[in-house]
Amino acid sequence: MKNKYIFGGVIVAVFLFLMIYLLTQSNIQYENDFAKVMAKEKTVKATGSWVKEKSYELDKENKTFTFYMADQSGNQMKVVYEGTIPNNFESAVSVVVTGKYQNGYFHAKDILTKCPSKYEQQNVKSSSM
Amino acid sequence: MIGSIVLSLALASSLIAMVMYFLTFKGYQNTLNIGRIAYHSMAMLVIAASAILTYLILTHDYSYKYIYNYSSNDLPTGILAATFWAGQEGSFMLWVLFTSIVGIVLQNYSSKRGDLEPRVMSVFTLSTSFLLVMVSPLFKNPFAYIWTEPVFLGVKDISSAFLNQPWIQNFLFSDSSTNQNFVKMGPELYAALSSAGIAVKDFVIDGKGLNPQLLNFWMQIHPPILFLGFSMATVPFAFAIAAMMKNDYNHWVKQALPWVLAGAGILGLGIMMGGYWAYEMLGWGGYWAWDPVENSSLIPWLVGVASIHTLLVQRKTQAKGGIGKYAKTNLILSIMTYILVLYSTFLTRSGVLGDASVHSFVDPGMLVYLFLVIFIGTFIVLGFGMLIYRWKFLNEKIEGEESLLSRDLALFTASVVLCASALIVLVGTSAPLFGNAVDTFFYNDMHIPLAIIIGLLNGLSLLLKWKQSDGQYLLKKSFLSITLSIILTASMIIFGGITDIMMILLGLAASFSLFVNLEIAIKIIRGNMKMLGAYVAHIGIALFILGVIGSAAYSKHVDIDLIKNEPKEALGYQLIFTGYNPIENNTKYAFNINLKKGDKNYTISPIMYISEFNNGLMREPAILNMWTKDFYISPLGYDEGTNDSHNHGQVIDLEKGGSSELNGAKISFDRFDMPAETMQAMQEGKDFQMGAVLSLEFQGKKESFELLRKSVSGQVQFTDYTSQNTGLKIQLLNLTAGKIQISVSNPNEAAQENVQQNPKEVLSISASVKPFINLVWAGVLVMFVGFFVSVSRRLKESLVK
Repeated sequence: MKNKYIFGGVIVAVFLFLMIYLLTQSNIQYENDFAKVMAKEKTVKATGSWVKEKSYELDKENKTFTFYMADQSGNQMKVVYEGTIPNNFESAVSVVVTGKYQNGYFHAKDILTKCPSKYEQQNVKSSSM
Repeated sequence: MIGSIVLSLALASSLIAMVMYFLTFKGYQNTLNIGRIAYHSMAMLVIAASAILTYLILTHDYSYKYIYNYSSNDLPTGILAATFWAGQEGSFMLWVLFTSIVGIVLQNYSSKRGDLEPRVMSVFTLSTSFLLVMVSPLFKNPFAYIWTEPVFLGVKDISSAFLNQPWIQNFLFSDSSTNQNFVKMGPELYAALSSAGIAVKDFVIDGKGLNPQLLNFWMQIHPPILFLGFSMATVPFAFAIAAMMKNDYNHWVKQALPWVLAGAGILGLGIMMGGYWAYEMLGWGGYWAWDPVENSSLIPWLVGVASIHTLLVQRKTQAKGGIGKYAKTNLILSIMTYILVLYSTFLTRSGVLGDASVHSFVDPGMLVYLFLVIFIGTFIVLGFGMLIYRWKFLNEKIEGEESLLSRDLALFTASVVLCASALIVLVGTSAPLFGNAVDTFFYNDMHIPLAIIIGLLNGLSLLLKWKQSDGQYLLKKSFLSITLSIILTASMIIFGGITDIMMILLGLAASFSLFVNLEIAIKIIRGNMKMLGAYVAHIGIALFILGVIGSAAYSKHVDIDLIKNEPKEALGYQLIFTGYNPIENNTKYAFNINLKKGDKNYTISPIMYISEFNNGLMREPAILNMWTKDFYISPLGYDEGTNDSHNHGQVIDLEKGGSSELNGAKISFDRFDMPAETMQAMQEGKDFQMGAVLSLEFQGKKESFELLRKSVSGQVQFTDYTSQNTGLKIQLLNLTAGKIQISVSNPNEAAQENVQQNPKEVLSISASVKPFINLVWAGVLVMFVGFFVSVSRRLKESLVK
């Protein structure tokens, strides 16, 4: 009886330790203040909106998609996404980019665009499986 | 109106049924029949309300807000009917509908099994009551009229017969930035329409339409199956509470088993159908992305499947008399399954995941949020309150020891591993509640070791005897399976090039479980067929894991540009883009790609189109399905090779009176040209134009010109100007209050580039090879069959006294 609990307890402890460790490793913060995004230099999910006036650029050779994003207080930052323009990008009311600010621009590995009405969201989803 | 009345009556009946069933449980006579009548009336009223909603959808009655928001005249009938569950209100309605129907079966089932009915049904009707409050006019009522709150409707959806009426002018609005006209629908307009004797459904003649991503076969079948699974999760909860009400833990186990099995089978199928939809239509490039909405339906499934394993142990150990092992575990898991279904609803409907999910659900408002919290809270308090109340009694009934090598313990371990998996997904999915998110590698890394344990247990537990087994016996019995699985794993390493140690272990564990289960299943087929269920389901999960190893861990992927008619090698295939052609009445474009390997030739066509619904570019993948793999092409973009104003020329913003210097040329924005009639035309929604007068100064020569922003039947156009003097082309891009945006380019230079390089049509694609993905689908289907073979066996057993 006692052995059973010790055995089980150790397994549970190892499991929980592993989970918490991985959780801290894979943890990504949401951030809607670009001043903080730029200061941090670590992977975040930055939320803001596309600066329409500055248009966007599709680079065919390097396969990058570049545009400018602004947060609520108007701070702007350049975003470079390795991939193509997401579905619905032009009509998005807000954009969530996942990545890291480095060398003067935000290097995005994922873009989520959100559209004005329900059920209308598009995503450049890359499935992990 | 009638719909809301029917739903309110249904709520009243549900409450009556709940009270009457509870009184019956408390020992009152005469109340059972009232309860039954009330329950059936409720179910009939819910079915009637659903029929009314379907009828209103099919007849395009846009005086209902829900119907206006999600459907339109051009939808084919099947899809039109499916708009029933396209939004929150309707999907709650679908949930109520299925729960009511499940309840009819449950009422019949429980009435034949002793004194079960009043207890089970009083808990069950608590759940239907909550759901009916949810769809009542207070919260998410699908029968809300369009004019209850002011809303702007596009002019195209309004019957043109009324647009020139004088009384409507007060309700017409125009958005000058997009140049679209709207009608403000609200109580005032409704009053105006009523006094003019016009029915709203004659006034609003078309709806907003459905998101094009939902416009397909899977929309018709995936949500109903998922919601049926959710509805069935209510049943084990009701059984567990019923057991605690009576303080009798013997019968509920075998009575609940067929329900738990059927519910898990259906929910599992529904979840994977969503995965197939994402893979085949939405072009995610895979079937599982750990998206919060996928996750939140996976969590209750995992816990439900965990409960199956411990329920089996309890049932088996009851044979000695007593209540059997894991009585408390089973109560907890059955309660948790339903609470997690509710939690899943909370996550996806309360707007808390707003930033995190592909499935977007608009913030439903504080009231709905609070109600969802109360809904879950009630069931948590009920479930765990009862448990605490009975805890002491249950503790006294605790039973014996198990040996390390017994089927008891193996099944319990399986249940623990499944719960661990559920916990991982739960923690990751709940992270957005705390302003965080987790990367998907969190889920993957955590699940690989768990999947290895699952594979091993899957094989081992079926070899073990219930009480105790010795190692010698085990080795002898599993010799064939071990040999075969080593051979299969070795061939995966040699032919499949699998080198990752975790993947090799996972492959070994999965093939071990596959062969053990196959071996036993083959023996059973010769004997007692009804015992087959568990083995079939486990063969399914083994196939599924093998499929995941191939299609997820060993999928190869490249992004390439295909120039028209130029062959390109990728992933061992030769690809040629041969051009595109319009399909489906010119609404979409199929981009044809020839695939060649050896002497085999295939053509597949990914699809792209601009959706009118959201003015966005939509993409659909194309899949070449082969026995051992899929070749998957997701379109990224298409370039016709002509000049694109986005990429050429320099973009300049100019304020009124401002100027900019470019290659020695000075461009100034002098003034706006806005005649008085423009203002009038703008307000009346007619065609109009606005101008910007600019001047260009180059080497002392000055020329003045005007660029126009034209609005022709709702479409905005911009003009350009080419200067003879400088050869510069100036194109107006935007014109707003006080500011313009122009692009300046030199067509001569651009033309020179083009002479050397003929315009090329380029299709950009993302191509991947998914080995053994068919095993994933086959595994899920086999698992589903296994669940239902088990249901038929356990159904018979549930009647035996």
